[in-house]
Parts: sequence; C-alpha cells; structure tokens
Amino acid sequence: MERRKFLNLGLVAAAAVLAPMTNLHAVDFREAKPDAWKAEKSADAIKAMFGDGELKPTDKIKFVAPKLAENGGSIPITLSTDLDIETIALFQDANPRAATVVFSVPEGQKVDYSFRIKMRQTAVVTIIAKAKDGTLYTLAKEIDVSIGGCGG
Amino acid sequence: MGKMKIKAKEKDGVVKVKAMFKSLMADKEEAEKKKIEAEFITYIVGKVGDKVVFEATTSGFMAENPLIKFSFTGAKKGDELSFTLTDNHGKTVTDKKKIK
Repeated sequence: MERRKFLNLGLVAAAAVLAPMTNLHAVDFREAKPDAWKAEKSADAIKAMFGDGELKPTDKIKFVAPKLAENGGSIPITLSTDLDIETIALFQDANPRAATVVFSVPEGQKVDYSFRIKMRQTAVVTIIAKAKDGTLYTLAKEIDVSIGGCGG
Repeated sequence: MGKMKIKAKEKDGVVKVKAMFKSLMADKEEAEKKKIEAEFITYIVGKVGDKVVFEATTSGFMAENPLIKFSFTGAKKGDELSFTLTDNHGKTVTDKKKIK
C-alpha cells in the first residue's frame, strides 16, 4: 500500500509540472473545480480541489476554533499564518458537502481571516493551505457541536 | 441577499476590515427544511481600485450573514474598498466604503 501510494504521488507530481500554468488571480473555485463542491467527504473534496499531492502536517498555521461549540449554526474560526500561502481552504465532515470556504490569497497579502461556519454535528475540520511553491499544508481539529446548525 | 456592512480602518500601513454580508446562506438541504429557496453567496471579491485584496469562494455552510474579518496591506486612508458578491443564482451586488 505504501509503495503504491508513493508511485501515485510521483505520477501526480509529474502531471502537475506538465500542466499549463493557470491564472492565479480571480479564480472562482466553484467554476474552476465544480467537483470539489459536490464531494461529501473531506478527503474526496480535497482531492478534487488540490489533487493527490502529499499533505504536509504543519504547526505554522494558526487555526483557532472552539473545542466545544454551543451553537452549531455559528462557529467562529480564525486562520492566520506568516507562510507564503496562495490558497487556503476549509473542509468539514459535518454537513452534506464538505467544501466550506476557499480563500485565494492575493499577491503580497498574508493569511489573516476570521469567519463563521455551520456544522450539523461533531466532526473534524480540515484546513488545507497551498503554498506559493506548491506544498500542501494540512491541519485538522475536531469540533464538538452540542446543537446542530444548518437547521438540523 | 443584498446589503452589506463594511468597516475598514488603516493603521501603520495595515488595513483591518470587518465586513458583514447579508445572506441566509441556506444550502439545498437547509432550504428544504425551512421551505425557502436555497440562497447563498458563492463568491466574494474585495478590491481597492483594480487591485484584488480579498477573494473567497464560499458555500452554504458558512454561517448566516457571514461576518468576515481580515487585514491587508497596500492601501491608505481615503482609498475606496469595494466588495462584489455573487450568489448561487448568479446575481451580483457591489458596495464600497472609504477606508478610514
């Protein structure tokens, strides 16, 4: 299994290098990656959005979220980092579809976003950040939800 | 969808922005339950002049009336910050505010 995984990664990396450079600015990810918004599981959505590249765990990204959310309809999330990030996305397994939000960080700007999400149940929230050099960083956190949001 | 509240303040070259966008952010399942039409913002772009300073693609799993805080550099007091929202029906709304 390990070996197969490794070989796959090699193939994907080669494909990524060969793929033509796309315009990095003003990307509507809903148009660019429609499949990612339909995926039910975080893992599938991440694959559709960022490809099969290796996900590197990191502690350089600050991800602030409550351990226990009393109101699943409004969970405050803060993301910030000094890394050179191009795209940062949030996925969760609590809702019918995993993709929640994708920020494209404009040239020269740093990641510093606060926003609120909805979650129907306790689930793991995954952050994927794509650095300018193509590295995919990941970190995840489980958020306990006592009352489901999303009208649930 | 429609109204938005924007607050932008510049200090030491960093502009801090708080923006609230009025939207139900109801995805398909939630809309069915509440017997309303699905309505959520799919794309938010913030600009100063022609320069993009904020860009996000969102889904109906953002909380209702999304409040987004962020900061950026490269603008000064008096510049105009504009936001354009696109919802799932393709409707767009633009509003702007001077940076204080």
